Amino acid sequence: MDELTREFLIESQEGLDRMERCLTDLEERPKDAGLIGEIFRSVHTIKGTTGFLGFKRLETLAHAGENLLGQLREGKLTANRPIITGLLHLLDGLRSILRTIEADDNEGVGEDAVLISQLEKLQVPVKARAKRMAHAKVGATSVPVLPLEPAPAQPAMPDPAPVPEQPVQAAPVQAAAPAPVEAESDPVRSRAQGTAAESTLRVDVTLLNRMMNLVGELVLTRNQVLQATSADPRMTLLSRRLDMVTADLRESVMKARMQPVSNIFSKMPRIVRDLSQALGRRVRLQVEGQDTELDKSLLEAIKDPLTHAVRNSLDHGIEPPDVRKAAGKDAEGTLKLRAAQEGSHVIIEVYDDGAGISVEKIRKKAVERGLITEQRAARQSERELLQLIFLPGFSTAAAVTNVSGRGVGMDVVRTNVEKIGGKVEIDSRAGKGTTLRMRIPLTLAIIPALIVRSLNQSFALPQGALSELVHIPPQQATAAIEWIENAPLYRLRGKLLPLVFLDRLLMPAGEHKMASERDNFIAVLDADGRRFGLVVDGLADPEEIVVKPLSAVLKTIGLFSGATVLGNAELALILDPGSIALKAGVSMREEDAVSVNEGETDAGAVGALEYLLVEAAGRQAAVPLADVLRIEQLPLSRIEYIGYRPVLNFDGQLLPVEDSGGVLAAAEGNPQAQIIVVVCREANRHVGIAVSHVLDVAAGGDLFEAGTTQRTGGVTLLKNRVTGVVDLGAVAELPAGEAQPDECSQIGETVA
Amino acid sequence: MSTAATGLRVKEKAPVAALVEMCSVRLGQTLFGVPITHILEIVGSARPQPVPLAPAFVGGLVHYRGDVLTTVSLRQLLGMPPKDGSQDILVLESAGGIFGLLVDSVGEVLTASTTDHEPNPSILDERHRALFAGAYKLKDSLLVMLDPEQLDPMRLSAARAA
Repeated sequence: MDELTREFLIESQEGLDRMERCLTDLEERPKDAGLIGEIFRSVHTIKGTTGFLGFKRLETLAHAGENLLGQLREGKLTANRPIITGLLHLLDGLRSILRTIEADDNEGVGEDAVLISQLEKLQVPVKARAKRMAHAKVGATSVPVLPLEPAPAQPAMPDPAPVPEQPVQAAPVQAAAPAPVEAESDPVRSRAQGTAAESTLRVDVTLLNRMMNLVGELVLTRNQVLQATSADPRMTLLSRRLDMVTADLRESVMKARMQPVSNIFSKMPRIVRDLSQALGRRVRLQVEGQDTELDKSLLEAIKDPLTHAVRNSLDHGIEPPDVRKAAGKDAEGTLKLRAAQEGSHVIIEVYDDGAGISVEKIRKKAVERGLITEQRAARQSERELLQLIFLPGFSTAAAVTNVSGRGVGMDVVRTNVEKIGGKVEIDSRAGKGTTLRMRIPLTLAIIPALIVRSLNQSFALPQGALSELVHIPPQQATAAIEWIENAPLYRLRGKLLPLVFLDRLLMPAGEHKMASERDNFIAVLDADGRRFGLVVDGLADPEEIVVKPLSAVLKTIGLFSGATVLGNAELALILDPGSIALKAGVSMREEDAVSVNEGETDAGAVGALEYLLVEAAGRQAAVPLADVLRIEQLPLSRIEYIGYRPVLNFDGQLLPVEDSGGVLAAAEGNPQAQIIVVVCREANRHVGIAVSHVLDVAAGGDLFEAGTTQRTGGVTLLKNRVTGVVDLGAVAELPAGEAQPDECSQIGETVA
Repeated sequence: MSTAATGLRVKEKAPVAALVEMCSVRLGQTLFGVPITHILEIVGSARPQPVPLAPAFVGGLVHYRGDVLTTVSLRQLLGMPPKDGSQDILVLESAGGIFGLLVDSVGEVLTASTTDHEPNPSILDERHRALFAGAYKLKDSLLVMLDPEQLDPMRLSAARAA
C-alpha cells in the first residue's frame, strides 16, 4: 500500500469518526447547520480523494450520500430519524469499504446498490427538486433556500464550507452563494485549523512504545550513574542535572501516550442510539469529563468493557418507556458516562437510572448456581452480594437477548479491567439505577511494586493487589503456620488465610527450607476476589518499576505478567497474583467455606464503627478507632501521679491516664517496664488508656442494652465476642484509684 | 513512491558458489557457526536471570537495550551439562522476534565457500538434525552450522509439545 493511500485511510477514518459523532448530535439538533456542514465535509473529502486514487466503488457510494447531505445542507430536507438512520448506514458502508482497502489494498467487490437506492429514496422527490432548481435558476441566487439555513443563528458553528465545493447535481448557483456570516467567519476558522494542523503530528504507536522503552533504559542508567558518582563531589551537580532531565523526559514521553477518553466515549452515542432503537428504549446520553486522559494502550483495553457496560445498562438497566411511566419515572431514561482523574487513577463510571439490580435475585441465583453458600449469602452485605455479578457464568437476565444476558458479560468486564491493573465495582439501588465504576491506573508502563525475595531471586509484586504484610520469624513459624493435611493456613485476625509458598510453587521439585528455618513474610494478596497469603523469604524496598513484556514462550508459564529491571540492575520477574491464586488452587468458594465456619461477626449494620481491640490485665476491651489519636509505648517512669491519679506529661500537656485494667499497678516496682498508652480524643481534651497489648482493629456494631442507657459504656460485638467499649467520657469524672472496676467488661460479661 | 520502488526491484539469485560469512561459536570442544545475517549483536559475559518453571531450554532473561530478552541455552539443547560462570550471548533475529543464544564463547567471523558445505549426515539423530544446517569443512576441523530459525524459543517449545 502506498503512502498516499495509507494517509487517505487514516484521514477518512478520522473523518468518519467525526461524522458519527455529528450524526448522533444531529438527531437532537436536526437544524444545526454546523453539524450538517461537518458531515458533508467528511463525505465530500472522501469522495474527492477517492476519485483521485481511483476507488470507484467508494466514490459512487460517497457520491450518493453527498447528494442527500447536499439537500440537507440547503435546507430542502430536515434531518429526521429515517434520514439519520440512512446516513448511519452510509457511514457503515463507507467504513466497510475502507476496511477492505486496508486489508486487501483494493476496494473489493460488493453490492452497494441497495444502500444507494435507500439514500436516493430519502432525497426530495425528483420533480420537486427540478421545480426548485428551475426556480433557483430564475432567481440566479439561492435566496429562497437561505431563510431555512439556520447558520446566522449559530455563529459558534458556522458552516465553513469552502466555496469551490460543488453540491452534486446542483446548479452552480447554490454553491456560489455562501451566507454572509459564513464568509466572515471562514478565515478565522481556517486559520485556527491551519495552526492545529501545523502544531500536531501523527506518530506511530510503536515508535512511542520504543521511546518509552528507551526512557526506561535511561532511568536505569541514571540510577547506576547516580550510584557510581555519589562519592565524587564534582559529579554531584552533573548527576543531579541528569536526574532531573531524565525525570522530565520520562514524564513527557508518558504524556505523549496519553489520549482523552473522548476517543472511546465518542463511540457510545451511536451504540446507545442503535441499541435503544432495537430495544425500544428511550435514552438520553450524558457525557462528563471527556478530556480526562489515559494511556493509549489502557484506553484500548477499556473500550470493550465500557461498551459491554453500556449495552448492559440499556438492556437490563433502563426500562421500556411504558414501564418507566408506570413507575413514575421520566419515560426517557438517562445513561451517564463520567470520567475523572483521582490521584494516579482514572475513574470511569457508567450510570443509568433504570430498574437497578435486585439484590434478592442475585442472592437467589448465586445460591442456586452454587457460587456461594446460603449461610454466607445471608451474612453478606448488599454491596458484597452485588459484586457477585462479576463471577463467571452469572447473569440475572430473565431472557437471553442478542444484546446481553448470556452470562458472559460482567466477568469479561472484570477480567479485562483487572488485566490492566484496574478494579471494577458495581453499586445499585433497586428501582433507582445502577452505577458501574472502573478504576484504571493512569499508565500501564510504570507501576508501583514491592520487591520480594525467594529462591535467591528478586520478584516484583504489584502493590495494587497487596493489602498487608505479616512477618513470622523462624522461631514462631511452627506455631503460626497451621496445616490441614498439606494445606498451609495462617490465622489472620481469627480468619484462616490460605498460604502459598512462593519457592514451592516456583520450584516444585527442589528442596526447600522449612518455614522454621528461615524468615517468613506473608504478603496478603487480594486478586480477583481470591484472598491468600504469599510466603516469601525476604522483602526489599518498594520500587516504581517499568514493566517489560515477556516473550511468548515465557508468557505461557502464566505466573508472570512481565519482567522489570531493578535499580541495582538486577532483573526481576513480575508476579501475577491472580494466576498464582489460580495455579495454587485458591478459589473464592474455598475461602467462603472457611469463613462460614470461622465467622466474622460484624453486626452487618451499615456504618459499623471500627474499634481498636486492646487487652488490659487479661480482659479485652474496645476503643472507638475514630477517637484514637496515637498509640505510645513508653517507660513506666514517664507516668507521674497527682494524688492517686496517674497522669502523663505529654508534649507539655497533662494527660489523665485511665488504668482500669490495673496495668500500671501490675508494672509497679519495675521502672524499666514499658507500658502502652492509647491516646484518645474525648470532647476537647485528650485522655490516655493504659493497656497491656493492642490486639487488632475490627468492625463492630453498637449494641446498647435496655436498662444500661446510662452513658457509662457500651458493648459491641467484636470478633464473635461481646466486648466492652471503654467509655472515654468517664475517665475524668471518676476519682483515680477507686471505684474503677472494669465497667465495660462487667457489662460484657453480663450480656454474654 | 513505494510502488515504483517495488516495480524496479530486481530479483537476485545467489550464484552457485558463493562466500558465506558466519560467526564462529565455541561450545565445549565443538565449533559452531551462525550466519552473520541473523546476528543483531553480541553481548559478552552475561549472567542471565533464571526463570522458574520455564522450559528447560530457556537459559534465562537478560537485559538488552531496554527490553527483556529471552535466551536459549545451546548447552541444554545439545544435552550438555550447564557451564558455571558467565557466557556470551548472540542476539539473533528470527521470524518470531529476537532472542538470545547462550554459548560458551564467541569467536571470529569466518568466511567459507558454499562449495565446502555439506548437508547434515544421515546418521545424525533426529533431535540434532533439526537444529543443524549442515557443516563446513574447514582446514583443520568441521564447523557445524546452526539454523537460527530452528532455535527460536517459540519453535522449540512447539517442537517439544509435539
